[in-house]
Amino acid sequence: MFGITDPYIWMGYLLAFILTAACIAYGILNWRNGQEPEEDNNGS
Amino acid sequence: MAVDTLTFTIITVIYLAIIVFLGYLGYKQTKGSDDFMIAGRRINPVVLALSYGATFISTSAIVGFGGVSAMLGMGLVWLTVLCIGVGVLIAFIVFGKKTRELGKKTNALTFPDLLGKCYGSTFMQRAAGLIILFGMPLYTAAILIGGARFIETTLSIPYDTALVAFAVIVAAYVILGGLIAVMYTDALQGAIMFVGMTILLILTYTYLGGVYEANSALDAMSSMVPEALAAGGMTGWTSMPEFLSPIWLTMITTMVLGVGIGVLAQPQLAVRFMSVKDNRSIHRAVMVGGPFVLMMTGVAFTVGPLTNVWFMQTEGMLAVEAAGGNVDSVIPAFINSSMPDYFVIIFMLALLAAAMSTLSSLFHTMGTTIGHDLNVKVKDSKPSIRAIQAGTVVMIVVSTIVAYLMPGNIIARATVMFMGLCAAAFLPAFAHALYSKKPSVFAAKASLLAGAIAWFLWTAFVHSAESSVLGISQAIFGVPSVLPMPWGVVNPIVIALPVSAIVLGAALMYEKSLVDSPEEKAESS
Repeated sequence: MFGITDPYIWMGYLLAFILTAACIAYGILNWRNGQEPEEDNNGS
Repeated sequence: MAVDTLTFTIITVIYLAIIVFLGYLGYKQTKGSDDFMIAGRRINPVVLALSYGATFISTSAIVGFGGVSAMLGMGLVWLTVLCIGVGVLIAFIVFGKKTRELGKKTNALTFPDLLGKCYGSTFMQRAAGLIILFGMPLYTAAILIGGARFIETTLSIPYDTALVAFAVIVAAYVILGGLIAVMYTDALQGAIMFVGMTILLILTYTYLGGVYEANSALDAMSSMVPEALAAGGMTGWTSMPEFLSPIWLTMITTMVLGVGIGVLAQPQLAVRFMSVKDNRSIHRAVMVGGPFVLMMTGVAFTVGPLTNVWFMQTEGMLAVEAAGGNVDSVIPAFINSSMPDYFVIIFMLALLAAAMSTLSSLFHTMGTTIGHDLNVKVKDSKPSIRAIQAGTVVMIVVSTIVAYLMPGNIIARATVMFMGLCAAAFLPAFAHALYSKKPSVFAAKASLLAGAIAWFLWTAFVHSAESSVLGISQAIFGVPSVLPMPWGVVNPIVIALPVSAIVLGAALMYEKSLVDSPEEKAESS
């Protein structure tokens, strides 16, 4: 694949791209989740 | 270097002026110790992601590991896989969100503080602080030396002046602006690194005739693997080394697992999760962190091996040979020999940014450790910015002295050693603290001590890359490694982390057996 014959190398690249895509997908799918109300954190 | 020193000096001065401005912004926004230590828990998610990535990826990750990949090939892509899968996805989603929640709930301000509060144990806080105090100056010295050497060669400044100036400039914005200044400057530095690595990838493949052509040319060079490397198990630059050969073991245990898993329990990274106000910020940061780490490590480990094609075509020799036999010089030699002047400046700036972003975070973590976690005068966990600033100054001086005094061969191992020690000592206890409703301080203490001791024993007596430079095994037993091959190339993290985890599990079972025993039940009823 792309000039690389050893599947253990191109599978590594493929997995790196899939995981990066997973990071982006996770961010988009949870874009609005986990919001907490504003509060003053400057306690000290 | 290929470009005019004056041009690079002007660009560097402009860059430093922006850094000073961001440091000033941090200073203005720092009103209390929460701001100084955890950026007031209100950092923007993009800043979090870039800061985390820029701190994680130092110059040695780009130049050092890039050079190693030029020698050993594209197998290091598996480190990229772990850096994204473990260093971003698991670190942010599994560890990061819980760290933020518990940090806020317990009002923890540092990584040792979080461990101490989760376990209700001053011992855990102090023990974590001591490991940072003794381990981090070595790692910091390694970054300092790398940055000073880089400034020495690019700006033609004497090494001693470069070392002190580099430490003072970074120290100034860390001491005055705290974590806000550190993270703002990290974000700018991360952005410069991202641009630099993106252009590097595009230009490399363009100069080598395209993706398929360049990779095929490298694939066809497998017969040129030097004899010594072939004997160690290397099969080519586009293929994995032979399974369980010394090179495979070094690549997988030291680089892929050592760094890829070691990232999870680094105090200077963990504290960043406490700098955002909610989990929404962490969700959004994941989206930026993944592509950032892909471009940093993925490009370095791809361009590194491809430099062999370039140097073979232009100089008729392999990359390491063209770089005078010095692995660390491969990437700079390739940049200087192949890239246009404007890019040499961008890349040099990216390297300076990578060193500064890591260094500032280490200064900050050591300062908060000595000024807060190990400060016996801290009452009721009330931190003092003055004490932390004083602690930061002390640790910067200590790190600079270490940079002068420690032998170069120990410094060269410092990054991997620090990551291994952190993972072995902290990771199981950290995970237990985050995910157990009633974390056991007994089990955590046992795990931390067992992990640290196992790591030390394996480092000092078995793993020859470190044991040979430490000299302890040689002095006592007359051999650099007390175990035969292949154990001598198996990284300490592969042994010490399971030991730490098993001891944690065994201690938990022991405690449970005490609670379940008839005597205990009779007493409780």
